[in-house]
Amino acid sequence: MTNPKTNSGQLSASFRDPSGFLFSRDGILYRQVNHKYEQEYGRLMESGLYDKLVKAGLLIPHIEADQPGAESAAAYKIIQPERVPFISYPYEWSFGQLKDAALATLSIQRRALKAGMSLKDASAYNIQFVRGKATLIDTLSFEVYKEGQPWVAYRQFCQHFLAPLALMALRDVRLNQLLRVYIDGVPLDLASELLPSRTRLNFGLLTHIHLHASAQKRYSGADVKSRTGTMNKQAMTGLLESLDSTVRKLNWNPGGTEWGNYYDITNYSDAAFEHKKQLVGEWAGRVKPALVWDLGANNGVFSRVAGEAGGYVVSSDVDPTAVEQNYRQMKGEKTENLLPLLLDLTNPSPSIGWANLERDAFHGRGPANMVLALALVHHLAISNNVPLPQLADFLAKWGKWLVIEFVPKSDSQVQKLLVSREDIFPTYTREGFESAFKQQFTIHEAVNVHESERVLYLMESS
Amino acid sequence: MHFAPLPYLDPGSGSFLIQLLIAALLGLGVAVRASWSRIKGWFGIKPKAADDEDDEPEDK
Repeated sequence: MTNPKTNSGQLSASFRDPSGFLFSRDGILYRQVNHKYEQEYGRLMESGLYDKLVKAGLLIPHIEADQPGAESAAAYKIIQPERVPFISYPYEWSFGQLKDAALATLSIQRRALKAGMSLKDASAYNIQFVRGKATLIDTLSFEVYKEGQPWVAYRQFCQHFLAPLALMALRDVRLNQLLRVYIDGVPLDLASELLPSRTRLNFGLLTHIHLHASAQKRYSGADVKSRTGTMNKQAMTGLLESLDSTVRKLNWNPGGTEWGNYYDITNYSDAAFEHKKQLVGEWAGRVKPALVWDLGANNGVFSRVAGEAGGYVVSSDVDPTAVEQNYRQMKGEKTENLLPLLLDLTNPSPSIGWANLERDAFHGRGPANMVLALALVHHLAISNNVPLPQLADFLAKWGKWLVIEFVPKSDSQVQKLLVSREDIFPTYTREGFESAFKQQFTIHEAVNVHESERVLYLMESS
Repeated sequence: MHFAPLPYLDPGSGSFLIQLLIAALLGLGVAVRASWSRIKGWFGIKPKAADDEDDEPEDK
C-alpha cells in the first residue's frame, strides 16, 4: 500500500486516536501502542477476548514486534498486524458487504462486553475484508467497560452503518455514495429527511434514526457529562439487540438493472466464453500476479478464473447489482482471495479526508501486478469518449501486466452504443487500438476469440 | 475542552441523551424477557438456544 506518510513513517489515516497509531518501516506495517493504552491492551490480550475474536475471524491477528517505536517516548508496545491484502472503503462496498460489516461490529461489541470491554469507536473504516470476512483491523478500538457507561460509539454506528443501510434498502441502493462525501457517516438529519415516511413505523428506524436526529438538533451542545453512569448493562444489551435486529431486517435484493443478467444477453457463444476463460486462466497462470484488478468484472466470472493462479483479486464493477451478486457468490463459496468492489472507472474513488490524505484514491492502493479489462474498452472509448492513447496511458499506470479485450466496431454490443450518436471514432479499429497501446505496452499475445470478432491481448507495460 | 475521562470521539449530546432513553426502554424488555424465561424455568421449559456469543451462527 502506498498510504501517504508523515516524516516518522506514521500513516496519515491514523492520527485521531491517542491510544496509538500505524506506521510503516522497511515496508512492514506496525502499530504503536502508547503507554496511555497499556491497561486496555492488557485486558484485551489477557481476558481471552483477543483470542476469541481472532478465532471467529472478527479481529485482525497480530504479533508483538521487537521494534523501537516511531515516537518512542509514548511507546508501550509495537505490534505487527497481519497485512490486509487490499484496503477498501464503505463507499466501495455493496449492500451486503456494508451489512456484514455492521453485524460484525455489533458482534464484536457484544463479545467485548462479556469480557468487560467496549468498542470506543464504530467506524466503518475500521472494518476490512480479510479472507472474505468483515474483520476489525484496529486493535486499539477497545476500552475498559464500566457498568453504567453508555456506548460512546452509538452515534458513529448509526451514521456509518445504520443510516446508509436504511437508505440503500428503503430509498435507493446508490445512496451509499453519500459516504464518499460524508467521511464520518451520513448525517442523521439528512438520512431522516431522505428516508420514506413509512420508516417512522419501524421501531428501530424511528428511534435510532428519526428520533436520534431530532435529539441531536434539540440537545446540540447540552452538557451531559453529569449523566454518565446511568445506563446499566441490561440497557446496553437491549440497545445492541435492537441495533442488530434493525440491521438484520434491512434487505436489498439485486434486481434486473443494467448488467444484472449481462451474461445472458451477451452476443457471444459458449465457445467464445470458454475460450476467453481458458486464455485468462492460462495467462494468469503464466504471470502469477500477486494482486489482480479485474476492472468491469461484472459478477466476477473471470476474476475467479484469474484467482486460480493464487493471487488476490479485486473484482470491481460500476453496477451495485453485479457487485452484490459477486459478493453473495463469494460468501457462499467461501472464496478467500476475492474482493468484489463497487467502482466507477470513469470517476474512480479519489483520495479524501483530512488534507486529502485519510483515504487513498483507488490507484493509490496499487499498482496491481495484473489488470483485466475484458469487454470494457468500448464502454470507455465510445460511451465515455476516452481517446485510446489516454486509455493505454491510464491502464499502464494501474498495472504491470494487462489482459485486455478489443471489441471491434462491427460487434453488435458496440453498434448498440453507437445507435443514437454520431460515430466520431475513426481510429477505433484493431490497428488503431494496437498502435495506441504499443506506446505503453509490449504486446506478448494477441488471440482471436473463437466464434467472435473480438481479440484478447496479453500485454506488459514497458 | 475536557479530555480524560471523556471519550476521544465526541458521542454528541443529543445522541447521548436519546441513547439513554432508548436503552432504558429496551433494557426493560431484556429484563422482562429474563424474568419470563425464569418463570418458564420453574415449569421446566428450557430456553431455545444458549445465549452465548461464541456459539453464534455464521451470518448467512
